[in-house]
Amino acid sequence: MRLTEDLTKAWLRDQGLPVPQGAAAHSPETAAQLAHELAGPVVVKALVPTGRRGKAGAVLFASGPSEVRGATEELLGKTVGGHSVSKVYVERQFPIAEELYLSFAFGARQPRVLLSRQGGVEIEDTFKNHPGAVVEEEIDPNRGARPWHLTSLWERAGVSGALLPRLARLGTELFRAFRKADGLILEINPIAVAAEGDLSLVGAMLEIDNNALFRHPVWEALNSEEGTVLDTTNEREQRVLQANKRFPGGAMRYDELDGDIGLLVAGGGAGLLQHDMIIAAGGRPANHTDISPGPTPEKLTVLLEAVFDNPKTTSLLVGYNHLQMAPCDLVTTALVAAIRSRNIDPRRFPIVIRLFGPKEQEARKQVGVIPGIHYLPPGATLEEGVKKVVELNRKVDGTAGEG
Amino acid sequence: MSILINSETRVLVQGITGFQGRFDTKHCLEFGTRVVAGVTPGRNGETVEGVPVFNTVRSAVENTSANAAVVYVPARGVADAVQEAVEAGIKVILATSENVPQHDASVAVFAARAADATLVGFNSNGLISPGSRCKLGGIGGDLPDQIYAPGRIGVCSRSGGMSAEVCFALKQAKMGVSTCVSMGGDPITGRAMVEYLQLFEDDPETDAMVIFGEPGSTHEQEVAEAITAGRIKKPVVALIAGEFQERYPKGVSFGHVAAMIRGEGDSASAKRKALKDAGAHVAFSLAEIPLLLETAKG
Repeated sequence: MRLTEDLTKAWLRDQGLPVPQGAAAHSPETAAQLAHELAGPVVVKALVPTGRRGKAGAVLFASGPSEVRGATEELLGKTVGGHSVSKVYVERQFPIAEELYLSFAFGARQPRVLLSRQGGVEIEDTFKNHPGAVVEEEIDPNRGARPWHLTSLWERAGVSGALLPRLARLGTELFRAFRKADGLILEINPIAVAAEGDLSLVGAMLEIDNNALFRHPVWEALNSEEGTVLDTTNEREQRVLQANKRFPGGAMRYDELDGDIGLLVAGGGAGLLQHDMIIAAGGRPANHTDISPGPTPEKLTVLLEAVFDNPKTTSLLVGYNHLQMAPCDLVTTALVAAIRSRNIDPRRFPIVIRLFGPKEQEARKQVGVIPGIHYLPPGATLEEGVKKVVELNRKVDGTAGEG
Repeated sequence: MSILINSETRVLVQGITGFQGRFDTKHCLEFGTRVVAGVTPGRNGETVEGVPVFNTVRSAVENTSANAAVVYVPARGVADAVQEAVEAGIKVILATSENVPQHDASVAVFAARAADATLVGFNSNGLISPGSRCKLGGIGGDLPDQIYAPGRIGVCSRSGGMSAEVCFALKQAKMGVSTCVSMGGDPITGRAMVEYLQLFEDDPETDAMVIFGEPGSTHEQEVAEAITAGRIKKPVVALIAGEFQERYPKGVSFGHVAAMIRGEGDSASAKRKALKDAGAHVAFSLAEIPLLLETAKG
């Protein structure tokens, strides 16, 4: 999850790092009050967890409280990067003489550092236009980013003199903060240098690892609040997200797409492959799912009900890998419950099942009593399941056209 | 023959007293794996399925000469569990947990590499060498023989579920596997795909290899480079899923967390092209895999 700027900067400040004075405001009045306290020129920024806010017109400069009031009125209620703006960040302007860039992120197996003397612009642009100006290096996770290592990297980037050791120390502290926060990305753009040599983390973006939220209860609480979820998430998708909190086990994913074939697939790989095959066979998936093996039937039923409630969905493919760690009847129990609760008639709403593994006989018996369900015979491939559902779905579409 | 594990492999299970540890240990023993020890701190002296439990990996190794480890601990304890196995001298470690925090994962990967140990995972259901009657992890469930037949094809898959589908397709075509490795679907894995393929290349009883890949990561790109450079000479058949993602905006994640489009280079179609250009055989369906293996054999 990407933290908003106020949270990122509060965290960095707590770690003893130099961050401009600033705070969040929910209304033009509080923003103006903050500007009054900060005394002097300030920056007003929309507080949304997304990048490129400058380009989106979500960063405004103001000389005092009255301009801040106007800027805040302009920003509140705007939509930036799919998020509606409900608060702004008011921050003291730092007297910038020079701007530098530094980030930590994960590569294939370890963190890496990216730095450049050219800060204040998108690093992608710097890399495209002046690839030599960007210095990149991997970091040994057991050693961290050591000052002498960073000294040589900044030297390669063209920094010299008194600034060099200060940047190196700052980088070492930043990596510690990155690690302690369980960061996936920490980008400081720019690190601002004042004429007298003071450093300040003027632009700061921190994305943290959702898998490590157990170590960060404050952020974990925020993550489950509304507002951190994209506003484009619809009511059915929200229901599945809620079920993840209500029931134990790994998180289920349910994302609606533009097609009409509902999908219940387990295993990331099988989901990807069947999605490809549906498109190759001329169909369009109505949703994407991913579920860890062995959720409770109640939890799975919530997901299936979401699939059935999607008005675009006209058929369902239950396409599982050979189950190796969970029983088949768990899936059919959930399916039968969802069919009953939504009064689905599989003779008009085709359901194709490709489900093999432990307790397969029990599963077959359970759905065998429901007419119209196509439980593929043992040995059928994932492809055969896909072809069957695309073919049956085409007939449904055809009937709808005649009606 | 096989890679990484064989009939001599002596397995210890970290977290053997938990649900998944017990469940998989039972199936591994039934298959023929020599599970010689379990480790759960505080449970020394107990047994699980007849396997003695120890407090630490070190004491388990000293008492049973175990030389491979399977880690069933919650994601938050994985880095410590892997390091404990590494420090006790274990050279093959399977980490099954998914969603391991990335800082923890990279620390564990570095510890294993520094000791020249092979860490398989994270987010893996295991590895199996059917001819040696040895499997580590849940791979194959309670009936591995229905899916994995002994043979001379090496399989490496980013997805545990798809390792079963690939090997099932081979079995139906009367082919079998030397070893099948579910290498892990998390963004950070203990070893790169190309490292497993290098082991297959050097294994006299593996004739060809099959890989299952997904968008995200540079694994398949590295395989293509190794083929081009001549480091891998045996035929490679590749099934890469997830082309549909290219119809959606960048940054949308489907399937495994790792299967996220980050740039043009790690999309399914870019991977297929790189592999094809290098001389690998690119399959578009499971059924095509054995046909391409036949063709490659010539």
